[in-house]
Formats: sequence, C-alpha cells, structure tokens
Amino acid sequence: MKLPSNPWLRTAYARLWVRAKSIYGEPLWVAVNIGFPFFTSFSLTMVYRAYGLNSFTGFAILGGVMISFWGNVLWSMASQFNWDKQVGLFEIYITSPAPISAILVGMSLGGILGTAPSAAMVALLGWAIFHPPINAVWPAVVSVFALTLASLYAMGMALSSLYLAYGREADSVNEALHEPVSLISGVYFPSTGGFSPFPLAVQAGASLIPLTLGMDALRRTLFFGQGFGEFYLDLELLALAVMGVALLFASSKALKFLENKGRRTGTIAVRQR
Amino acid sequence: MNRVDAEITVQVEGLRREFDSKEGKVTALDGVNLQVRKGEIFGVLGPNGAGKTTMIRILSTLLLPSSGKAGVMGFDVEKEPEKIRAVINMASGAERAGYDFISARGNLWFFSQLYGIPSEEAHRRINELSDMLGLQSYLDRKFYALSTGYKQRVTLVRAFINDPKVVFLDEPTIGLDVMTALSIREYILKQAKEYGRTILIATHNMAEVDAICNRVAIIDKGKILACDTPAALKRSLGAPSLVLEVSPPPPPGSLEPLIKLEGVKGYTASVDEERGLSRIQVVVDDDGSAQSVIDSVRKAGMTVVSNWRQQATLEEVFVALVGRGFREREHEASQ
Amino acid sequence: MSSLRAMVASVRVGWYREFNWTNPLVGFILRTVGPLASVIAASTVYYVGSINNIPPSFSPSLLAFILIGAALYAHVAAYSWVPTLAIAEGKWTYVFPQVYISPHSSLPYLTGRTLASFVTSTLTVIVSLILSFYILSSVFHTNIPFIVTPVSISLLFLAMVMNIFAALGLGLLLSAYALFATKFEWALPTYVAGLLMVFSEALFPVSALPHPVSDVANVLPFTEFMRASRQAMIYGDMYSYFSYLGLAILGGIIVLALGLLAFSYAENRARRLGVIDKKTA
Repeated sequence: MKLPSNPWLRTAYARLWVRAKSIYGEPLWVAVNIGFPFFTSFSLTMVYRAYGLNSFTGFAILGGVMISFWGNVLWSMASQFNWDKQVGLFEIYITSPAPISAILVGMSLGGILGTAPSAAMVALLGWAIFHPPINAVWPAVVSVFALTLASLYAMGMALSSLYLAYGREADSVNEALHEPVSLISGVYFPSTGGFSPFPLAVQAGASLIPLTLGMDALRRTLFFGQGFGEFYLDLELLALAVMGVALLFASSKALKFLENKGRRTGTIAVRQR
Repeated sequence: MNRVDAEITVQVEGLRREFDSKEGKVTALDGVNLQVRKGEIFGVLGPNGAGKTTMIRILSTLLLPSSGKAGVMGFDVEKEPEKIRAVINMASGAERAGYDFISARGNLWFFSQLYGIPSEEAHRRINELSDMLGLQSYLDRKFYALSTGYKQRVTLVRAFINDPKVVFLDEPTIGLDVMTALSIREYILKQAKEYGRTILIATHNMAEVDAICNRVAIIDKGKILACDTPAALKRSLGAPSLVLEVSPPPPPGSLEPLIKLEGVKGYTASVDEERGLSRIQVVVDDDGSAQSVIDSVRKAGMTVVSNWRQQATLEEVFVALVGRGFREREHEASQ
Repeated sequence: MSSLRAMVASVRVGWYREFNWTNPLVGFILRTVGPLASVIAASTVYYVGSINNIPPSFSPSLLAFILIGAALYAHVAAYSWVPTLAIAEGKWTYVFPQVYISPHSSLPYLTGRTLASFVTSTLTVIVSLILSFYILSSVFHTNIPFIVTPVSISLLFLAMVMNIFAALGLGLLLSAYALFATKFEWALPTYVAGLLMVFSEALFPVSALPHPVSDVANVLPFTEFMRASRQAMIYGDMYSYFSYLGLAILGGIIVLALGLLAFSYAENRARRLGVIDKKTA
C-alpha cells in the first residue's frame, strides 16, 4: 500500500498500524480485552433478568460493548503517554518532527480498530444468550455510534495531557476514574432523562461527559426506535459533535503547553521507575 | 546564532541549566561553551551527575536552558526546535524503547514514519543499518523477545534511520558485553567517516572516548574543564603518572594528605581483590613529587609493594583537573 | 522465624506499594471511589429496572442483597489478585527473582503482600458500604434493611477474615500461572474476578444460572462467604450464618491447599524452564 506523503498522515497511519498490529498480531489480545466487559455485562444483564426486568437486558449488553471502548480510552489513550514516558518512547516523539496530534489520532483509530473485535464479541454473546428486545433505526445507530466514539476518543486525547501533567501511578488514577464515570454516564442504565434516579443537578453534570450523551442516544436509536428528526436525539448528536471538536482543540493546546512546560522544568524524559 | 560558518554543527555559548529540588537549586550546567564541527565524533566525558545528559537533552530539544544559547545546524534550541528535530536523532544506552508486540523491523519502520520517510526507503535503510550491526536475522523477532544487546542495536539503528546530520548518543554501550560494545563503536565510526555525521557522545567510559572520539570535553559539576583531542589532553600532563601498589588497604582519609604535597595534582585509588592489594594512581609533576608521595604513603603505615610510572590516561587528566578520580567524585556527589 | 520476618516485611512493602506514591489520604480516596461507584452502579441497575417494571417490583431487601454482594465481591477481587500482581510486577522490576532466591521467602512475600491488600480493601469496603447505604437511601428514598449492631458488624468482619483462606488460595492458583507467563498474566485475574462476579452470588442468586453451573457455584467458598455475610447484615439468622461460615472455611482450606500445591509445582517447573526471572511483555 502506498502511503500518503503528507508527514501528518504518515505519522498517524504508522501509529495506527503499531496499535492494530499489536492486537491482531497477538489474537490472544481479543480474549484478554473481552474478559472484564463481558463478565460485567453478563452479571448486570442477569440482574435485570433474574429479577424479572427483561426489557432492560439490552441496556446492560450495550453497556458491555461501550465499556470496552471506555476502558480502551482510559488505559490505552489517556495513560499511554505516561507508559511511553516510562520506557523512553515519549522523548522520541518529542525529539522527532512528527506532530503529537498525528500520534494521538493514530492511537485513537488504532484503539478503535483494536477494541472492535472484543466489543463485537460482547454484543454477539450478549445477544445470543439473552435475546434482548431491540427496536433499532440502524442508520441512526451507526451514526450515533461513530459520533460517540469520536467524542470519547477526543476525551481520551484531552485526558492524555492531564496524565502527562499528573502522571504518577496512572493505573491508580485509571482505576479511580473507570467506575465513577461508568456510573455517572449511565453505561448500564439511563442516568439522564425519565428513567434516571439521579437528581437534576447530577444529570446536568453527567451530560457534560460525551459518554453520557452517547449512551443515551444509542439507547434511543437501538431500543426505542428513535431516528433523525427526534428533538432530543438531534440535540444529543449536536452536543456530541461540539464536544468532540472542543476536546480535540483543548487537547492540542494542552499538549503543546505541557510540552513547553516539560522542557522548562525538565520533566519530559523523567521516568517514574 | 551564527549561520555563516557551515562547518560548525553544534554550538553552545554560556549554557546554564538549573533545577529546583527539595535541597534548593541544583546547577546542572554552569556556563558551558563548546563548538562541534561537521563529521566529528565529539565525546563529553565526566562522572555521573556531571551534566552530560543535561547537555544532550538541551541540544536534542527535550529541555530548555535556564540561560545562554545552544544551537544545532544553526538553529536555536529555544526558538527553532522543530527545525532541529528534522535533522537530528538521539539514543540513550539506558533506554529500550519499543513496542513489545511488534517485531524489531516493525518498530524501526514505525520510527522512520515519524520522520516522513517513504516505506520503501525506510526498509532499505533498516536493512542497510541492521546489516552493519549484525541485526538482520533478528529483525523479524518481536521486540520483547530480543536480548538487551539486540534491543540496544535496534535503538542504534533507530538513531540513524532518518539520515540525521547530528546524532546525540548518551552512554551508547552501557551494560553491553565487550564484543557488542566494539561492534557498536565501529558502527559509530563508520557513520561519522562515511556519512559525515556529527556525533556527540556523552559517556563516562574512557576507553570508548579514546577509541573513537576526535575530540573530547571533560566536564565536571556542570563546567567544561578541558576540551581537546584525547592525545593532546594526555600529553598536557607532561610526565607520566605514578602508580603504587600498597598493602594494607589505605584507611579512610589516609590519602588526603597526598593532595597537599607539592607537585601532586590528584589521585585515584582502587582495590585489586585477587592480589589483596590497593592501587593508587597519582598524577605528579616530576620525579621529586613522586618520591614525596612514596614517602608519605610509607609514613601512613602502608607498605609500598611496587611502584612504576605509566602514560597518562584520560582519567588521570580528569584527576589532574579535579583532584579526584571518577569514583571518588561520584562518591562525594552522593554524600 | 525468617519466614515470619519476611512476611511482616512484605506486609509493610505492600502497604507502601499501595499508598506511597501520594499522600495516604489521597491514595485511600482514589482506592475507594472505584468500589463505591461499582456498588452504587450495580444497585442502581436493579433500582432503575425494578421501579420501571410493569408492575413496579422494587424490593428494599433485594437492594440490600445486591449492595452487600457488590461491595464484598469487589473486596475479594481486589486482594486475591495481588500475588499475581506481585510476581508480574516483580519480574519487571527484578524484585521477585531477588525474593525467590532468598531462603523460604516467595510464599511469605506473596502472603504478606496479600494481607496488606486485604487490610486496605477491607477499609475501602467498609467506607463503600457506609457511603453507599446513605447515598442510596437518600437518592432512592428507601429504607435499606441492614442490621447494624456491634454483633452483626463483628460477624461480617469474621466472615471477611475467614475468607482469606479461599482468596489466598485463589491468588496462589493465579500466581502459579504468572510464574510461567511472559505476557497477559495480568489479564487472568480480570477473568477470575469476572467469574467470581457471576458464580459467587454477588449480584443475583446462583439458582438463576442453568444446571449444572449453578450446582458448582452453590458449593464455592466465595458463595458461602457471601451468604454468611448477608445473614450477618440482612437476615440475622445465626444458625444459617455459622453453617455458611463453616462451609466457607472448609471450602477455603481446600482452595488454599490446591493453591499451595499448584504454586509449589509451578515454582519447580518455572525453575527448570528458567522463567522465574524472565521479564514480562
């Protein structure tokens, strides 16, 4: 395949290739990545089913699919530069002419490609075991899904700058972020709208997280037969698009600021181990 | 920065770098001046903590100076880092940077793309450079499966993959066996001689500097103490140094009076465990000073088992400049 | 004596490893928010489903069932994987080979690290239970029927301590694999934690699972531990509590014995294959 000559595209492709190759070159990765999302999704689907709440089983399965991506955003996007710093890769990025934004976009696309098989497995297994009731408008589902992923990974890019600034023990920060964001965003149950048990203030705060809006929009299009033209769905799509762009912009600025700060304070190449 | 003299590829003027620490400000570089010419292999020699890595980090645009100027290929490190990054590369002996689940070739290809090199050209360079380092048959192994020595070779191929004009190497042979270190030095020599690259090596390995460097700057506590060819530096000591083998080992502090003797520039001591003797190397001005040293050692209660004069080494040059050997200096720094 | 000393030192190291990267309060808070969110999420899943069911089927007693299970499952999952972590991390940092070559130290080291983690996860589960009780009571406007007396809390604590046998046994089984593995060994505990979630009656009765899977789940020591804990905190039947506790201890001893056997075999094999100090990818 002839690669684009544009350095930005070339860098993004190379980083995507590394990530995808790491996963597809070791098929065991798919099995590794499926564990946590599948069992959590299975357990919560069983909660719905065991207590006679069958119509909600689809929520938990969808949650399992999206948690795969959320986990990837946290562990392989947000904290990636932290790991890279520890092994000396980050300073190679900085001292090369490659734009950091290209590396981030490559990581994101590679992450999506790499997570897709395990997410698909969770969906397939969930559907095969539980046969959740589905009432989908598929073009809207696909569009919402794509936009949700774009915003989520844009958030991952923004988080990567936070981790660079406060990088010690990124895995502890990940563990602290993973479940609370899943809770507030309503990965397994609606955390906003009529079904939500949360007070309005919490719902409003939760709506600032792309995952919240994305989950709600996915449920509307997958289980409630809503398509384009529905007011709340369109509003959520617009908000996701705006968030995605804003987060991309913020991450680019933040990383540049942190790179300069790192060069001043001498912390770009500091390894924690 | 003066861009007129195209032969100077690295230029440093009054370079200063301080760090904040819990103990207060630490000065890593204290007014360093140097110039490196195109095609030179330039050594920066000093003990741990002398400022070598800090200088490399500034020149490779990882770190900003606190004051002073530094430039590579006529570009300022502070104002024009992007232009510098396009023409340099760096590698640290301590790093084993790579993606574990990708092959060595895949890793090298990836790094080549960061410099915008077309894939075909990238593979050609990977093959050529790997051939020079005996890495060819390991290229398709996953990175995690390579031994330390081969990971280091991959690192060194990466350091030249973008056909850089200037390469910064920080301890490139640290932790490697003798044969591997030798092949790496040959590789570095070839890169400079055949391709005209400027190579700056930060190291505390004197044999390495002696073997391959055109010039060397001796650095200690952030200052350049001397800068010349290795041969000229050794000749500058004049008379060969004095080596004493003594028994029993000198008690702590017992060698301090040696520095105060007239004509004595400095000393370094080591222990020969096998023979149960201590070896003291003293840099002296003349035979008279040498005799004073022998008398002083005897007075301290040690028996001089043997003594002779030998040609100066770079460590003795360092000792002459600083009064202590690398080992002693690093021990002092850790107190 | 040296084994005991090694274990005590390992407890200390384990404590520092968990908290020394930041001040202890921040470290503790970060360690607690995850389990707390997980407990609230599981409880909320039930609540949202049940009040929106037709007809609504919310039961405070079932909420309490899920709350206890979610908190305790997270507690067991948190410290049972520590032996694997200690080996995987220890291979990377070269600490584990050093421990291994010192006399009788690898088991005391793994046990000590596990005990340290048991203490921290016990503290976090207590805080999670208390906070989730108050948050959920307030948000769901319901009375969660917990029995909160010195006796019930002591019985809960006793059950948690007695479960160490099973958790340590499980941890050693996993770490036996970690001795050989040069990649992905850290993923196995996530699988086991997931299996625990499904098969230990953490969120739903194992009778909801199909036969013969439910039969196996019924006799796991972790299932008995959950049941004993719920007897202590929700149902208050002392006879049932001690029956379940006895079964949990018996099962725990069996799992521990299996874990020790597996670990001993794995150590021997790993030494023959030369992988004890092989770095993980």
